[in-house]
Amino acid sequence: MATVPQSAGPVTTRGELKAGPATTRSGGRAKAKSGRSPLHRGENLFGWLFVSPSVAILVVFMVIPIFLALYVSFTNWSGLTSPFSHSVQLVGLTNYRTLITKPGLYQTDFATSVRDNFYFFLFTVPLQTALALWLANLVNSRFLRAKGFFRTAFYFPSVTSSIAITIVFIFLFQGNGVVDSILGWFGIRGPDWVYDQSGVFTNILNSLGISSPGWGNHMFIGLSLWNWVAGPSVGMCVLIILLVWTTSGTFMLFFLAAMQTIGEEVDEASAIDGATPWERFRFVTLPLLRPALVLVVTLGFISTWQVFDQVVLLGPQNPTTITPSYFAYQVSFQDSNFGAGAAVAFLLFCLIIFLTLLQRRFVKEDLTK
Amino acid sequence: MKRWKAITGLGVSAALVAMTAPAATASSPTLVGKTHGVTLNFMIASSGPAETNADKAAAAAWAKSTGNKVNVINSSNLTLQLTEAFSGGTPPDVFYGETPMFESMAKNAQLLASGTLVDPASDFYSSLVQAYTYNHTFYCVPKDSSTLAIEINTAMWTAAGLTNADLPTTWAKLAYDAKALTKGHVTGLVMSNSLDRVGAFFAEAGGSYMNKSDTGFAFNSPQDTQALTYLQGLAKKGYLKFTPGDGVDAGWGGEALGTGLAAMTIEGNWIIGAMQSDYPKIAYEVVPMPAGPTGKHGTLVFTNCWGIAAASKYTAAAVSFVKSLASPAQQLKFANAFGVMPSRPAVAQEWAKEHTAPIATGTETPNVSAFVQGDAYALPQVATVGFATVETAFNNEIDGLASANPQQMLSSMQTNAQALLQP
Repeated sequence: MATVPQSAGPVTTRGELKAGPATTRSGGRAKAKSGRSPLHRGENLFGWLFVSPSVAILVVFMVIPIFLALYVSFTNWSGLTSPFSHSVQLVGLTNYRTLITKPGLYQTDFATSVRDNFYFFLFTVPLQTALALWLANLVNSRFLRAKGFFRTAFYFPSVTSSIAITIVFIFLFQGNGVVDSILGWFGIRGPDWVYDQSGVFTNILNSLGISSPGWGNHMFIGLSLWNWVAGPSVGMCVLIILLVWTTSGTFMLFFLAAMQTIGEEVDEASAIDGATPWERFRFVTLPLLRPALVLVVTLGFISTWQVFDQVVLLGPQNPTTITPSYFAYQVSFQDSNFGAGAAVAFLLFCLIIFLTLLQRRFVKEDLTK
Repeated sequence: MKRWKAITGLGVSAALVAMTAPAATASSPTLVGKTHGVTLNFMIASSGPAETNADKAAAAAWAKSTGNKVNVINSSNLTLQLTEAFSGGTPPDVFYGETPMFESMAKNAQLLASGTLVDPASDFYSSLVQAYTYNHTFYCVPKDSSTLAIEINTAMWTAAGLTNADLPTTWAKLAYDAKALTKGHVTGLVMSNSLDRVGAFFAEAGGSYMNKSDTGFAFNSPQDTQALTYLQGLAKKGYLKFTPGDGVDAGWGGEALGTGLAAMTIEGNWIIGAMQSDYPKIAYEVVPMPAGPTGKHGTLVFTNCWGIAAASKYTAAAVSFVKSLASPAQQLKFANAFGVMPSRPAVAQEWAKEHTAPIATGTETPNVSAFVQGDAYALPQVATVGFATVETAFNNEIDGLASANPQQMLSSMQTNAQALLQP
């Protein structure tokens, strides 16, 4: 353990070195702003002129739709007329109330979608991060031959169309598909993967003889506690495996890029100090990968709450994998209730912001330690 | 398979208000635009090449005889594309009207009340006219109709030693047949886990979706409970299984019948095309849905309509086009091209006369009279805005019917559906 502070030495040096040019550059910019030399006159104007195309695109395709959706979430818009036509009425918080506080089908469905997505996120993010890190470490190894081949192979799922991959997964996991056939060799009768709605935790508890204890009947936002702790459905597990596999390639690339900025001398120095390979990974490489790790976890965080296309393909009426983003679509187009659909989208937006802030807070606290 | 999805999705039905009201026009809308030299946009949601080609041929024939042009747009997601077109203010002139959107379209005055402009309502099956009547106005001409019947694998039927006397004409006989036909990996009766199949048994028990006075839903009626309990009895013993997700590896009833996993299934006439193209080696027979304990027959009807957009600039030409699409001769052409049933009783009878082979093999069309006779007493589906979500919640529970409480399933659907009627 004595090696640790020593090996941490180069880290800070490196960090400061890196920060060096950045400060100078921003200092330079500040000077230009305050200087107002004739050379820099109109720089601001031209700056805005150059970025205006992308600003315009952002405003038209992002900012306006976001505010429009916010407005729609307070109306009873059916989607068949202009949202500003006289038949559209403002209904205040009604849409939000039917989703959160008013007992009914929307409340139950929304709670179910949030639960399903929560378990999806809970399993996917750690698994995809760990797998990506492991793969990156593997292909970064000095002793590995045909690195290029492996890097391409691991990255391949990420560049393939998610639609194609999902269809292949449906075939693999269908009733008598490859997965069930392989399980069959061992005498196991596989579940009806994609269509099995039962929760994994519930199944485990049931097999231990615990089924819906007294506390499980208490209701919380339209679902009983027993339903809240049900865990991901068997169908959702397929989606978790799919997402972990497809995204690990991209995230491997992030880690790989970060790993290649770590000089070999750091690794060698710690080796000379007597650190084992595991200690070198845990106390040298991993802390140096911190920025990449934060990036990967944050991206994973956000993307797992937005999963949509895979859900659509798993079946429009499939109850095993309903996510809030899919629920928003369903409510809008199937029930012609765009108001409630937009409300779902905004609740999801708030949830993502809240969870991301929470995650950043944890990371910050960790940094100051 | 595609057709089945399309039709269940379209889930036809009668608006709550419409159920009591006889079809009548409030006031005829004024038609606008020229009747020749215009280009109409015609949006369809085709089940396959046969339907697309038939629609294109019909459009071309009308265009040629009237001196117009028709632009046929085949949409793979009609609800989405129509919603976008309507909210953008540029809807297609003529389109396939789907029931889940019907009430919403009529409410928002997006649909031209064109029903009686084309032909008198009495020319069509009354259940279909009701399905497209909102607020006493017959809005939209029924394009076609599809009803449910039982399809039986002939080889398995004979192998089980069953004869014509055993045909499932009653609930008791259906239960007997399902038991006799369940063997090894073959399940006696397999159907989709949907209210769009189970509901037929409600009707046979004397129940319905709506109450007698049509002021609300009646899912928790003793009749509906009796029907679901009957099905539960079959499911408990393994004679009845649902698809997908109930241990039968098939996406829908037709696939289960075609792959030999089911000896009997319950599907509509869209199964004819699927059997011809996907499973031509399976010989099967079509029989009407059984009668319930009181001797009442019951089935479900599904339909689309020929919608005309109120915002169209050429409604006069559009009405003329729909007239030709809904004409008796054209309906017979559609029926023969891709197996949909005509929406006019007269034409449907004629079509039934052409297809009377008791057992279909290969690419033959089976006896369609079982489907056609259902039109007379079929139960139209619910069109209340938002019912799709209620139905999905119920459907999700059907796979677990064997171990569920039928009464509880129905009363929670009742509560959810009733909530839609409160403003």
